[in-house]
Amino acid sequence: MISIAMATNRSAQRPNGAPQTKVCQFKLVLLGESAVGKSSLVLRFVKGQFHEYQESTIGAAFLTQTLCLDDTTVKFEIWDTAGQERYHSLAPMYYRGAQAAIVVYDITNQDTFGRAKNWVKELQRQASPSIVIALAGNKSDLAAKRMVEFEEAQAYADENGLLFMETSAKTAMNVNDIFLAIANKLPKSEVSTGGAGTRVLNDADAPRASSCCK
Amino acid sequence: MEDDYKFAASTFFAKNHPGETCGSNGLPLTPSSITILGRSQRLLQIEHPNLCTYLDIIRGKHERIIVVAEVIGKALAEYTTKFSYEEIINIATQVACGMKLLHDGNIIHRTLSDDNILLDSNGRVKLFHYGMYYMTNEGKEVPFPLGLPRYFSPEAIIGGGGPSADVWAFGIIILELCIGKLWNNLKPSPTMRRILTLVHSNNPAERIAREHYALDAYKEIPENIRGIIEKCLKIYPSERATFKDLHSELSSMNTRTPSEIKPVRGLMGCKLQYLYHWWQLAGGDIQAELKKSGLIKNSPPILSMPIAILLDGPTIGGKTGALFDRRIAKYSLDLLKNRLSHIPPSDFYPLMHERRRDYEAMALPKIIRERDTEYQFYRLLWFQRLLHGYPYTAQCIRSEAEIDIPPLVRGDVWAALLGVLGDIETHYERIDKETPTHTDRQIDVDIPRCHQYCWLLCGAEGHKKLKRLLKAWLLTNPQYVYWQGLDSLTAPFLYLNFCNEARAFACLTAFVPKFLHKFFLKDNSAVIKEYLAKFWQMAAFHEPQLATHLHDINFVPELFAIPWFLTMFSHVFPLHKIVHLWDALLVEGPSLPLFMGAAILRQLRDTLLDSGFNECILLFSDLPEIDIGECVKESIDMCRSTPKSLSYRRFTNEPEIKDPMVRYAYITYLNTFICKIIIYRDMVEIPMEILLNEVCPRISLSDFFSLICQDKCCVIDIRSNLLYEKSCIEGSINIPYSGVHLGQHELKSLGPQPYKVLVEAVKMNKIIVVASAEDGTAQLVRDKVFDFIKILYKGSPSRFI
Repeated sequence: MISIAMATNRSAQRPNGAPQTKVCQFKLVLLGESAVGKSSLVLRFVKGQFHEYQESTIGAAFLTQTLCLDDTTVKFEIWDTAGQERYHSLAPMYYRGAQAAIVVYDITNQDTFGRAKNWVKELQRQASPSIVIALAGNKSDLAAKRMVEFEEAQAYADENGLLFMETSAKTAMNVNDIFLAIANKLPKSEVSTGGAGTRVLNDADAPRASSCCK
Repeated sequence: MEDDYKFAASTFFAKNHPGETCGSNGLPLTPSSITILGRSQRLLQIEHPNLCTYLDIIRGKHERIIVVAEVIGKALAEYTTKFSYEEIINIATQVACGMKLLHDGNIIHRTLSDDNILLDSNGRVKLFHYGMYYMTNEGKEVPFPLGLPRYFSPEAIIGGGGPSADVWAFGIIILELCIGKLWNNLKPSPTMRRILTLVHSNNPAERIAREHYALDAYKEIPENIRGIIEKCLKIYPSERATFKDLHSELSSMNTRTPSEIKPVRGLMGCKLQYLYHWWQLAGGDIQAELKKSGLIKNSPPILSMPIAILLDGPTIGGKTGALFDRRIAKYSLDLLKNRLSHIPPSDFYPLMHERRRDYEAMALPKIIRERDTEYQFYRLLWFQRLLHGYPYTAQCIRSEAEIDIPPLVRGDVWAALLGVLGDIETHYERIDKETPTHTDRQIDVDIPRCHQYCWLLCGAEGHKKLKRLLKAWLLTNPQYVYWQGLDSLTAPFLYLNFCNEARAFACLTAFVPKFLHKFFLKDNSAVIKEYLAKFWQMAAFHEPQLATHLHDINFVPELFAIPWFLTMFSHVFPLHKIVHLWDALLVEGPSLPLFMGAAILRQLRDTLLDSGFNECILLFSDLPEIDIGECVKESIDMCRSTPKSLSYRRFTNEPEIKDPMVRYAYITYLNTFICKIIIYRDMVEIPMEILLNEVCPRISLSDFFSLICQDKCCVIDIRSNLLYEKSCIEGSINIPYSGVHLGQHELKSLGPQPYKVLVEAVKMNKIIVVASAEDGTAQLVRDKVFDFIKILYKGSPSRFI
């Protein structure tokens, strides 16, 4: 019923490759404190892999993945951002114009949850008003060292109208599910014909003029 | 015959962590073999006449560790004849000398015994295997007990003991040399029981002798030796002598001056580390030899399977921990001797003033040269000479490093290239690397992800060192902050100077201002913007077609190149590639990275030209295999063929270009073929906004004139006829701006004469300069002419260099 297809077929992304079914393209951004597992979540979702020693992300990384829902093909263009606070000023370049965001925290670290809340606030204030935000409490395989209670995060998510799941990139728990939940919640009316990646930049001003590292 | 053997290997298994246990951070526990590898690096640095030099620690399959070390002669245990007292004093003196060095360095031997004290026919003594206890973290990382029971001190048996336990063992060994083997044929536990009963004795040495019915022999021992033995065999560790005292006492007793050993000349006179390295290059294989001599035995896996595995992880039965295999396999250097037998003796002593020879291997790629025995032989000897003369040979080292750097001395050469000098140890020692700071959390989460495929960097030892280095650098550079990526940048220096943190630190400290000036400022946006803009201009200059394409699809370097430059590619490539990139970087200077970026683009060029925005960004998020040798070569070519002022950056630590003409005139380049002159009046610096919007770099007038003098450029003057006639650059052609029809797409539309000149210029690979008095029009014309060139070269894009 629901399957995940690897987005390796490059021609499928070509503007001229007219798709048969309805194709929706969405820009999704991952935000959160460093070392909470943003890159690991994406890697698990896109390639089904997990690296214990996933290296830190500098600037941002870009990956795509296609989900097949019943009648639509949803293609995610995923921007995986750097977590370190110093790279904060780069973030707007990536979340501006995004239709979805996953804000990630580490359930074994209360501070990362606080940082996640700040990201949600910033998105609510500055990102597109219709953005779908999901909150992911990652590293649920380390439940023994839990510092953030599920109920606490769930309550926060309900208050702010966020999707919420506890995930584990290591065990793959809820990883596909959270992306699916986002795909289901996104409006499918707008059918784009590819090349939406360029929109990233159009929306983010001329990149040259946009802020770089600060 | 025995002197033929130069080094030996022994092997053992490190402890296996039970099941799939994870540390508190959710990461797997560091394998014991990695910990051993990290700790043993320090041992590799020890050089002392009475200690066998450690040459290599190899990590094999299934937590196997192979230790390679120097050997001489044979072990005391193998000598069957009794030693004279004179000989005993000689042996004891040298052992004490070696032990003193170990204890000075806080290394406890713990396994001192008669089978790891080596003696050769010249009376030289060297300790072997002295690092077991240290490298295995006091035996915690191995499944077997360390040491021989009969040399255990009482406190060591009950699980305690520090350095003074070694003094006890030393005493037992001398006693054995005097009165014969002790507790012979006794099993470990009775032996240890016997030792423990000594605690009530006032004079354990005498009591041991009595127990062995050797009291008479004991009484015969000369007073001074007996004194030494009794000072060692004290029950209370605090009462025992130290090796410092023992050594000075023994030295005064030692009548035998070590027989003058003539320094060996030729191959065998070379540094042992070099010999081992060349031996490996010549095909020497430690593991294969160990298998041959039966020290590594492969048993069928079924035999090592556990009998039962419990649900929560632990296993029962199967292969149980064996005792430490004390056998060693000795190796001779015949293989290497044969390989290098044709080399004339004089070549072992290269003279500095002689012009270096050209070797056949020089034409081969670096990676192959690094594996060539003979080539490395010559290079290493040569570099050894040069490094010996540093800093006076700095220039010479630089010009040799331009060819290549032998991997074995890369750390030394890099330090020389970076101008590291002076008492770096004391300086580093004084820096507070321990006090917690608020950056610690970030450093702590980054280090376990930094180049962790590298065995050195992934162990606890590596993590500790990297953290100290980062903290030291941040503390001594208060103007800078920790940006993620600084860890990756530090890693290559640590990797090459694993046991010399001070030098790693000194290298990093010298590297940053040279290559990454101001990159680690809290607000580095201007610096990075300028760098990326320059990179884009260099790419456009050398790869105009590609640059236009990327420009068209709105693909900007901000999206992918920040980690490239912020970390000088150390976050992008694995260490074995970084070292080659940086070899070139350190020699060529701070402009090279811009061209390295361009060279990477060039390698991906065909794919990029065929790709849209998404494919391009995907390509950079998961960078395909890059041929680093090619990339280095191309980038150096580009760097050298680009006039210096083109890659000029404001944020640099380089001495400013003292060129009066720069102040008044800049010429804007478009690409290899097309440039534009704009005469700026009263303008010293280009404002940032302008720079960021320029596709092409600017050139200083002097660089421009030198191009004209060398007939390397073709100038198109687009001012009006009138102005052109008044004054113009010799040889320039005039295409008045007003005469250019923007709608036209044919180069011919510019007129027959300009067409001819331009085609000719393009053929000759000349740089085409568009000269005008104002900015805007030149911009338009450059776009136009660029279009023409594009059309002209549609069919043969390879012409864009």
